[in-house]
Amino acid sequence: MTSIIDEEYAERIEEVLREFLAESGATYVLLTDMGGNLLFKMGEENFDSDTLAVLSAANYAATNEIANLINEDAFSLLFHRGNNENIHFAKLTSDILMIVLFKPYLSLGLLRLKIENVQNEITSLIRE
Amino acid sequence: MAIVNLKEKVIQIKIVYYGPGRSGKTTNLEYIFNRLQSQKEQNTSKLVSIDTKGDRTLFFDFFPVNLGKINGFDLKLQLYTTPGQVKYESTRRLVLKGVDGIVFVADSLSSRQDANIDSFENLKNNLSYHNISLSDVKMIFQWNKRDLQEQNIPLTDIEQMETSLNSELQTQSFPASAVSGTNVFKTVNYIAKQTVEKVIDMSVVNQKQRPN
Repeated sequence: MTSIIDEEYAERIEEVLREFLAESGATYVLLTDMGGNLLFKMGEENFDSDTLAVLSAANYAATNEIANLINEDAFSLLFHRGNNENIHFAKLTSDILMIVLFKPYLSLGLLRLKIENVQNEITSLIRE
Repeated sequence: MAIVNLKEKVIQIKIVYYGPGRSGKTTNLEYIFNRLQSQKEQNTSKLVSIDTKGDRTLFFDFFPVNLGKINGFDLKLQLYTTPGQVKYESTRRLVLKGVDGIVFVADSLSSRQDANIDSFENLKNNLSYHNISLSDVKMIFQWNKRDLQEQNIPLTDIEQMETSLNSELQTQSFPASAVSGTNVFKTVNYIAKQTVEKVIDMSVVNQKQRPN
């Protein structure tokens, strides 16, 4: 199966992500499919984004398997705290994962609210 | 699942090396990675290996390769291996998610023929977990470790391996030695070409690029 991202759709999603970065203060945002294919990225980057997409999808999938194993549907929060950078993983749709890098001084709760807004916008874009 | 991004002009394809434990999947990827690293014009990313301390693959090995342009599109190949050991069933299954092309690395050692067959059956089961059948993806075989013949180590004839593994699919196969690099690039080039052709056939790339 092949997924095709057309130009107009790409621009609209990028606009949503641009706004998200501006409003949330996050450093970087990336969308990947669950197979680890990088779909969109935006923000400051000094690493290999393809590898981040692959490892994030794998991390998410492995965590989901752990949830199934202990009879949980899914874990509602998947987040790692670092000294200089935090990373948050959110499932936007059944096949799209959103990865956000943000500084430790930002509020996780506020960021999660903003991610929820992005989720709604992207879900309605996909429905269109 | 291949991704065609018409804005960025990028085609992404996922190739997975599958096969029994110790058949040489990681060695294939390491050989490709090291060769590309030594060619300065090819800018490769890091080879990511999630393995155990005993150098066995725990989750997967991965690295992306840029293959240049086709019809004005940048072609990005994502190369993965799966863990071969039977106990890593759950992680092996996860790696197959969204696969476009498969290289089945079969072990030529006579003692490993049952392991090859078990792994091939396991591949079919794991693909069906993702609602994919073998006919949905491009697949080729690599008969690895053929170099061991020189050391008089008992190997199974290629004809016999063809019969036990490839009689149903009758797809392309290559005798190879991942350690010495024999046919390693031939294998990856072939599966890349086949998979890309399939993706292009199925997408609108041709139509978009066709002059009016």
